[in-house]
Amino acid sequence: MLQIENTLFTIVMLLYFAAMLLYFAFIAVKKDGVAKVAIGLQAAGLALHTAALICRGIGAGRLPLTNQYEFATSFAWGLCLVSLIFVLRFKFPVLGAFASPVTFLIIGYAAMQSKEVRSLMPALRSNWLGFHVSTAIIAYGAFGVSFVLGVIFLLRDRMRNSGFLDQHIPNREKLDVIAYRSVSLGLLFLTFTIVTGAIWAERAWGSYWSWDPKETWSLVTWIIYAAYLHLRLRRGWQGRAAAIFAVVGFACVIFTYIGVNTFLPGVHSYA
Amino acid sequence: MSVFKRIYKFIASMRFAIALLVVLAVACSVGSLVTQGQSYDWYAQRYSERTAALILALGLDDAFHSAWFIAITGFLCLNLTLCNLTRLPRLIRLAKAEGRPEGALKDPGDVSAANIADPRAVFARLRMPAPIACQTEDGREALFASKHRAGLWGAWVCHLGILLLILGFGLGQMTQEQYAVYGVPGDVKPIGDTGRMLQIDDFTVGLRDDDTVEQYTAKITVYDMNADGAPSQSAEIRVNQPATLFGMKFYQNSTGWAGKVNIAKDGEPLQEAVICAGEYLPVADKPELVVVLNAFYPDYRFVPGEGPSTASGQLNHPAWLYSVYYQGQVLGMNALMADEELTIDEYTVTFTDPQSYTLISVKRDRFTPLALVGGLVTMLGLLLAFYVQPARAWAIRQDDGGWTVHGRCRKGGAIWREDFERAAGTASNEE
Repeated sequence: MLQIENTLFTIVMLLYFAAMLLYFAFIAVKKDGVAKVAIGLQAAGLALHTAALICRGIGAGRLPLTNQYEFATSFAWGLCLVSLIFVLRFKFPVLGAFASPVTFLIIGYAAMQSKEVRSLMPALRSNWLGFHVSTAIIAYGAFGVSFVLGVIFLLRDRMRNSGFLDQHIPNREKLDVIAYRSVSLGLLFLTFTIVTGAIWAERAWGSYWSWDPKETWSLVTWIIYAAYLHLRLRRGWQGRAAAIFAVVGFACVIFTYIGVNTFLPGVHSYA
Repeated sequence: MSVFKRIYKFIASMRFAIALLVVLAVACSVGSLVTQGQSYDWYAQRYSERTAALILALGLDDAFHSAWFIAITGFLCLNLTLCNLTRLPRLIRLAKAEGRPEGALKDPGDVSAANIADPRAVFARLRMPAPIACQTEDGREALFASKHRAGLWGAWVCHLGILLLILGFGLGQMTQEQYAVYGVPGDVKPIGDTGRMLQIDDFTVGLRDDDTVEQYTAKITVYDMNADGAPSQSAEIRVNQPATLFGMKFYQNSTGWAGKVNIAKDGEPLQEAVICAGEYLPVADKPELVVVLNAFYPDYRFVPGEGPSTASGQLNHPAWLYSVYYQGQVLGMNALMADEELTIDEYTVTFTDPQSYTLISVKRDRFTPLALVGGLVTMLGLLLAFYVQPARAWAIRQDDGGWTVHGRCRKGGAIWREDFERAAGTASNEE
C-alpha cells in the first residue's frame, strides 16, 4: 500500500506541476480553454492526492497526520482543495495560477521529508488527533489562499488595465471580499484546531494550555488574523492594507509550521 | 464629553482593540523566542550579561506570568466587556428592526432591481423565506422577507466566548492544585498536602514488536485519609485516558527506570530499598554517605565521544550509572554492570531488579469547564459571524404593475450584490 502511495505521490507532483504550467500558459495566451484544462489537471491531482493519503493511512494503519512529511503533503492537499473551491466558486482561474506554485512548493517540501512510517508514541494515540490536525490543514489551506489573494490584490495595482484583466481578475472590492471569505474560513478552522488541541492536551498532559511554542505561535497567528478582520471594518484599511496583513498572516502560518519545529522545539516536536 | 466618558469610549473602541491585539501578538512572540524559566547565568552565557539583566528586569524569563502580560490581557478583557456592553442595546434594536418591514421599505437597500414581474421568484432564488405581504406608508403593496438574524450576534457571541475562555484560564491558573507522584508498584505515597494517599497497584509498559512503546498503563488506588475508614477509589489510567478520583484528575504522565539498592556492611545485609533514577539513598548507619542512582541502561553501550546510552529497551546488557557522595562531596561516579558490586570501605552496594516507575500527575482545576465553554462559545460566535449572513429583501409594487426588488446584506458586500443581480436578472429574463 505504501508503494502505491509512493507512486501516486509522484504522479500528483507531476499533475500539480503540469497544472501550474497550464495556469501560466492561460495567462500568457489568454485562452479560457487552457484554464479549463489546468483546472481539470488540478482536480485530477487532488483526487489522486486524496487516494495517496488514503493509501498512506491504510499502509500505516492510522491517520496520516503525524509527522513532517504527512503534515506537509496534507497541507498541500488542503491548499489545493481550498484554492480549487475558490477558483470554481468565484470563476477565478487566475487564483489557480498564483496558488499552484505555492501548492507545488509545499508538496516539494513534503517530498524532501522522510517518508518512513513510524509507530505512534502513546501521546499521539488519540481520537482528537484527527480533529486537531485535519482542521489545521483546512485552516492553513484557507490562509494560503488568502495570502495568494493578497498578492494578487497588491500586484493588481501595478498591472496595466486590459480586457483580459478586467474579465479574469475581480475588481478590488470583490477581491477584498473573497480574501475576507478565505481568512474567515481559515480563522474558523484555526479556532477549531486550537480548541480541539487544547481538549486533547488536557487529556494527554493534564494541561490544556502550557505556552508551548507551537501553541503560542498558533495563538499569534489567530491574533494576526483577528486583527485583520477588525482592521477591515475601519475606513481606509480595506483593500491594500488588509492585503498586506493577509500576506504577513501567512508568514506567521509558515513560521508556526516550519519555523517553530526548527527553532523552538517543544511538545509538538514530532509534528 | 467628560474625561471619564472619553476614557470609556477609548477603552471600548475598536482602535484600542486592534492596538491590544498587535501588542499581545508581539508579547506572545517574544515570550516564545526567549527561553523561559532560566537563571541570570544561563541567559548571560547564552546572550550577554547586559541582555540577561534586561531579560530579568523586563520579566521576559517568565513572560506569560509577568505583570505586563497580565495587564495586556486585563485590558483586552476590559475592552471586550465594554465593547459588548456598549453594543448590546444597539444589537437588540437592530435584531428587532431587521425582522420588521417598516424600516426596510423606506431604505433603498444595497442593491435593487426594477421591472420585476414575479418578485417571489427573486426571493426564492436568494433563498429567502416566504415573504410577508405588507404596505408602504403611501399605501403601495409590498413584500418583505428577512433571514439569518442570528448572524448579527456573531461578533458579540465570539467576544463573550473569549472573555469566558480568559476568565476560565485565569481563575484556573490562580486556584488549580497540581501534584506529581512517582513510584513503582506497591508504593503508597501522599498526594501533596491533600490528605489523600496514592497507591500504585501495577504499572506496565506495553511494547510493540519493533520495541517502541505502545502504551503506559498504571493501576492506582486513592485513599481519602480525611474521611472515616479511609474510603478508596481505584482506576486504570493510560496516556490520553486520565481518571477522576475524589474530584481530582490523575494522568499517566511519564516513566523511567528504578531498581533495588542492596547495601551490605562487612558482608552482612544492612539495608535494601527501591529508588528511581535521579533519587538518592543515604546509608542507614552512615547518612553522610549517599548513593545516587543517576540512570539505568537496559542495553548498555558506550560510544566514545557520545557517552553512555542504551541500544534497545530490552534487558540485554543492563548497567546502572551511579554516583557516591560523602559529606556532599563526590567520591566517584561510574557504570555498574548487573553482576558487579561497588565497594566503599566496609560497605558493598549492588543494584538489582530493574523495573519501570511511573510518574503520575494529579490535578484539580475547577475552571477547566468554564474555559471549555468559552472555547465552544467562541467557535459558535465565529460560525455565526462568518456563515450566518443576515439578509433582507423587499419588493414594492410600482404604478405600472411591475415590482422593484431591494436587498441588503450586512456582510455580503460585492458578492451578495452579484448574487442579487443574478437572481433578479434571471427572474427578468424568464419573464
